[in-house]
Amino acid sequence: MTIVDLEAGLEHLSRGTARHVQTLLIVGEPYFKSLETAHRSFTLAQDLGIARVRMVANKVRTPRDEATVREFATRHGLPLAAVVPYDEAVVEADERGVALIEYRPDAPSVEAIRRLADTLLVDTTDHAPAGT
Amino acid sequence: MKTAVAGKGGSGKTTIAGTLARILAERGFRVVAIDDDSNPNLALTVGVAATAASALPGLPRDLLEQRVDAEGNTRLELSMPAEEFIDRFGLAASKNLTLLVMGQPSHGGSG
Repeated sequence: MTIVDLEAGLEHLSRGTARHVQTLLIVGEPYFKSLETAHRSFTLAQDLGIARVRMVANKVRTPRDEATVREFATRHGLPLAAVVPYDEAVVEADERGVALIEYRPDAPSVEAIRRLADTLLVDTTDHAPAGT
Repeated sequence: MKTAVAGKGGSGKTTIAGTLARILAERGFRVVAIDDDSNPNLALTVGVAATAASALPGLPRDLLEQRVDAEGNTRLELSMPAEEFIDRFGLAASKNLTLLVMGQPSHGGSG
């Protein structure tokens, strides 16, 4: 399995660097500029013909935040694969220079990413237990 | 399963990408996590010290070759098998997880 952390912004998408992936996760925060960027990424991804594009909502603090992201995802036909809550543990791990999953493996944000993993694994048609 | 993670700077894509990679590795999948950001931060999130990541050998200039495929499209491809590339330039981050950092200083000329 390969997970690629892309260059921030749209450049790599527009150049087609991400073209050969099967899944693109678009991370967005619950405010307009972030969702606007997410929409642009989604459009580019569709142009590139990436098979599976999913939204991941991050730093979600309130039910209204979540509703904002869900409404956006529904409006654009972009499936929402996970809602990751705002989590102080992320900041604390960063301040301590350690990985979030080592700092607090049961943090709410980590649990949400576990559920994201579940979603991606169920969805994929070609997963093999011990493959890459 | 090849997955890429995109997002605005500061959106948390690196935290999500790195934590997702660790979770999949913990479940027994062999995972390669690739930091394709020219401002690389993935090492910390997967549990590799930044000093170890910056001590990785720089990627050689002839790493990528241009090849023309059957339809006449030009593609950039690795000049060595992927497994060899991972062995030479990858860093073991945790059980089942290898980190590749693309944005090293000597990786120039391909942007």
